[in-house]
Amino acid sequence: MRVPVSWLRDYVAMDMSLTELATKLSIASAEIEGIETRGVADEGGNLGLFRIGKVVEAIKHPNADRLQLTKVDLGEAEPRSIVCGAWNFGVGATVAVALPGATLPARPGLPDGLTLERRKVRGEISDGMILAEDEIGLGADHEGIMVFPEIEPGTPLADVVPLSDKVLLVEATGNRPDLQSIYGVAREIAAIYDLDLAEAPGQFPVGTPGGPVKIQVDDYERCSRYVGTIVQGVTIGHAPLIMKARLLGAGMRPISNVVDITNYVMLTLGSPLHAFDLATLSGGGINVRRAGDGEKLTTLDGVERALTADDLVIADDARAVALAGIMGGAETEVSADTHTILLEAANFESHGVFRSSERHRLRSEASSRFEKGVDPQLADQAARWATELIVEFAGGTWTSWNDVHAGLPGRPFVEFRPERSDAVIGVETPADEQFRILGKLGFEQRGEGVVVPSWRARDVTREIDVVEEIARFRLEEVPFTLPQRREMFGVLTREQQLRRRLEDALVGLGFAETYTPSLRPDDETTWKLPEPISVDLTALRTTILPSLVEAVARNIDAGAKNIALFEVARVYLSGDGDLPTERVRVAGIVEGGFSRAKGVAETIYAALKAEPEFARGEHRLLHPGKAATTGAGIVGELHPRELDGEWGAFELDLEDLFAASREPITYTDVITYPAVRQDIAVVVAEDVAAGDIVAAARAAAGAELREIRVFDVYRGEQLGEGKKSVAFSVAYQADDRTLNDEDATRLRDAIVNALATEFSAELRA
Amino acid sequence: MTDTPDWNAYEAEAAAAAQSAASSDELEEARVRFLGRKSDIALGLREVRDRETGMLLNGVRTRLEETFDTRAARLADDELDRRLREEIVDVTLPGDELPLGHLHPITQIRRMVEDAFLGLGYEVRDDREVETVEYNFDKLAFLPTHSARSPRDTFFFDPNHVLRTETSPSQIHIMEEKEPPLYMVSIGRVYRRDAITATRYPIFHQFEGLAVDRGLTLADLKGTLLHVMRALYGPERKVRFRTHYFPFTEPSIEPDVSCGICGGSGCRTCKYSGWIEMGGAGMVDPTVLANVGLDPEEWSGFAFGCGLERTAQLRHDIPDIRALWEGDLRVLRQF
Repeated sequence: MRVPVSWLRDYVAMDMSLTELATKLSIASAEIEGIETRGVADEGGNLGLFRIGKVVEAIKHPNADRLQLTKVDLGEAEPRSIVCGAWNFGVGATVAVALPGATLPARPGLPDGLTLERRKVRGEISDGMILAEDEIGLGADHEGIMVFPEIEPGTPLADVVPLSDKVLLVEATGNRPDLQSIYGVAREIAAIYDLDLAEAPGQFPVGTPGGPVKIQVDDYERCSRYVGTIVQGVTIGHAPLIMKARLLGAGMRPISNVVDITNYVMLTLGSPLHAFDLATLSGGGINVRRAGDGEKLTTLDGVERALTADDLVIADDARAVALAGIMGGAETEVSADTHTILLEAANFESHGVFRSSERHRLRSEASSRFEKGVDPQLADQAARWATELIVEFAGGTWTSWNDVHAGLPGRPFVEFRPERSDAVIGVETPADEQFRILGKLGFEQRGEGVVVPSWRARDVTREIDVVEEIARFRLEEVPFTLPQRREMFGVLTREQQLRRRLEDALVGLGFAETYTPSLRPDDETTWKLPEPISVDLTALRTTILPSLVEAVARNIDAGAKNIALFEVARVYLSGDGDLPTERVRVAGIVEGGFSRAKGVAETIYAALKAEPEFARGEHRLLHPGKAATTGAGIVGELHPRELDGEWGAFELDLEDLFAASREPITYTDVITYPAVRQDIAVVVAEDVAAGDIVAAARAAAGAELREIRVFDVYRGEQLGEGKKSVAFSVAYQADDRTLNDEDATRLRDAIVNALATEFSAELRA
Repeated sequence: MTDTPDWNAYEAEAAAAAQSAASSDELEEARVRFLGRKSDIALGLREVRDRETGMLLNGVRTRLEETFDTRAARLADDELDRRLREEIVDVTLPGDELPLGHLHPITQIRRMVEDAFLGLGYEVRDDREVETVEYNFDKLAFLPTHSARSPRDTFFFDPNHVLRTETSPSQIHIMEEKEPPLYMVSIGRVYRRDAITATRYPIFHQFEGLAVDRGLTLADLKGTLLHVMRALYGPERKVRFRTHYFPFTEPSIEPDVSCGICGGSGCRTCKYSGWIEMGGAGMVDPTVLANVGLDPEEWSGFAFGCGLERTAQLRHDIPDIRALWEGDLRVLRQF
């Protein structure tokens, strides 16, 4: 909420600096997001350049039909010549003048404000500017020059109008609807600085009339109170300057005296009001009821809205005339011709307002207050004060009053132990000091607890809520301690340790880690957002690789070399239950083809002390002939349609990888009885897979075959058509003795014979 | 071999040849001539018949071998010196280009956060990102009217399923899984319905801390956050609390850390306040404890959450958060 400081001063006398006030409020009450100026900046003598003047001469500009050439007495030795574009005044008018050097308030297109100069306008000197309201932030309209009753020329303008004000930008949290009012903020300041707080306006009945207002509430759940008053014979016009200036400072547009008064009272007290033109209400009364399904209402913003039975409306005999607590209807609003108004001050249930506001995508100053809960004790106070102000500033007679409710809630009593505050906050506050703070906030000490003020009744219902009231005034004194832990220790789990190792291994291989969005334009998933913020972020991904392909493409476009990217992130798979199955995966793309990708996958497995089990696989992003499964995912060459050139890609499931890890490693003695190493090459048919040769060799040689790795595949004329030579190195080793030449020969023969039997392999070397 | 050579002259001639050899090759040539298998002394030794002559010749040969060895060592030293003098490289030329990868700055910060909390005795966890309304809102005591429950703020799949809006559901998960005392930090992705700008991205990372024990206070929370902020930003940083509101903590606060750019005197980064907002925190609300079956009179707790992207932006002075999500190697290779 935007809080003009002059408005606060109506209720609390303050002399601290605004910067200090902002800090204190930010810590104890609500964040102050900034301090702005409303109207003319009060710095560097600027304010003194705005004065009252009296027009002593006014003729048509000799060179321009639409301009007036005036001489204005500003209490100086000689009147000043000023050229002016408005014609709503003449000789003898008292006007407001800005002198050369004056800086006007910022406005759209002029963020620093216009600084005036003495200059020629169509050949005539203009030594200042005669002002309209909007030019100095006093009104919204540029209807004409401000004309005042007789005032001594030269009088500082700031003595006559609210020329300049500071505005605190108060960001109240959802639990503090009381801080969405000027009076509520003033109450906080009084509590923080131990200052006196003036009585709230409108509290005491003054001549409430007895005439009835026809009000029927059908749904007390949704509308717990409805106060209506009628004022006859009003004249719609402008609100007083000070009111308009403050409304502008608070961010609301002045509209007319009656509407401005309802807004002014709402901002002061926090209780929204609405004024109907009584003549437009069929039957002359109010019915608060649920809307019919499909019932239509055109709200003040000109939008026709289709209502549902969950919407609460204010209706007359014939139709809905307002969406309760959110916005009035266009057909019953106060207009220039209005003579009699029906003023509403009501309480609408917060969740109902929230639902309607959501459904109609419509928020207003009123709905934002009702959603957070408006103090039900305020309605009559707001209605009374607003009615008094309407009579004062729009004339007319207050003829009727009605206050309909099904009983008002009492003020809750909450048990409270001052020592509980100390135990939660960790710093001692004497009990009498705690009750002093609570007293300033409107809490009354009673027995073993406190009675909560009505404006806090929604938020403060438990002892801990009262503790918070103390805590927020002690935050600067809270010391820095650490918990006295007795039963905890911190350590990364095996999976968390292995994840770090995996990330580090990839970094060691030259990969750069990237993060890409978990939401994709589309994916084959049931987990799609019905209302995404953009088509790019619509579906939860079931694979990471497509995002990486896009990242690689962008890097190619940017001219990057040696591209290697990886990401560790979740995928979201359709599960059996209510929720998707979320799995953490590592995916990567690297320049180079299949064997590069496979080398990376093998290194990942080696780093994790796990054995991959490669088999032919498929994935829509991979080359159909160059793709393999590993036991934890897939590895292969990217499909040529994805990116130009040869690219390796992999995507592996971390849980599966870690399950295969042999960490912690069991030591093997490879020193005492050294290994015997040999190379073997066999000629086989083209379609025999290297992996099958290895598997057959392992099966034939048994446990003494410790290592086997294919290191060469050769094709040549002397081998014959459809044949290839596969060379592999082997290492034989036993745990209990050093193997001799005879053993090596035995094992080699076993392998060669097995390969001959299974694949018709011929020994080549 | 009729003439008996003058072995003294032989020795003198050989020694002179060794001394005058200018290179290892010349020396080797002289060694072959004077000590080789076909040298006079080798032949002479083969024909020795008497002990006296044998001793004489062996003496000559031994002394000559020493002379040659000494000279060889000297020449080798000289030649190494000469080679080293010639082998001068331009040390300013680049070395071999070896592969070096890069951890994303968010991962680096995640590890710093994990390590800071491990040091404080916390366990590290992560939880699911698709949550039920029950765990994301209800059990965390969000009021029915809280604006986060609106599809305008939160991504809903259907009325009961959302992308988690904060890591706080982890609080409920761990409290349901284990008995207190509990000390945990949960780190992962969260989602908010924000338009993409320089400072906001609809997907981001949070770390969420939770401590549940007997007798925990707001002061313990303040001390913990001071420790963690100093771990992330340096030992000079200060921490202050501002009152705030969160459904699942009471009292609720927002922690600020003193601005590292200006040191607290006020600058553009801290909006001239000297302080930077770090996230949200507070004492665990008794309702939340009761929701998981803990007695709020016996157990108390504190909780806090901070954004990792924000931390990265502050630590590395990254003006635009989108740079963290685009996978641009020109960005990633800086870290």
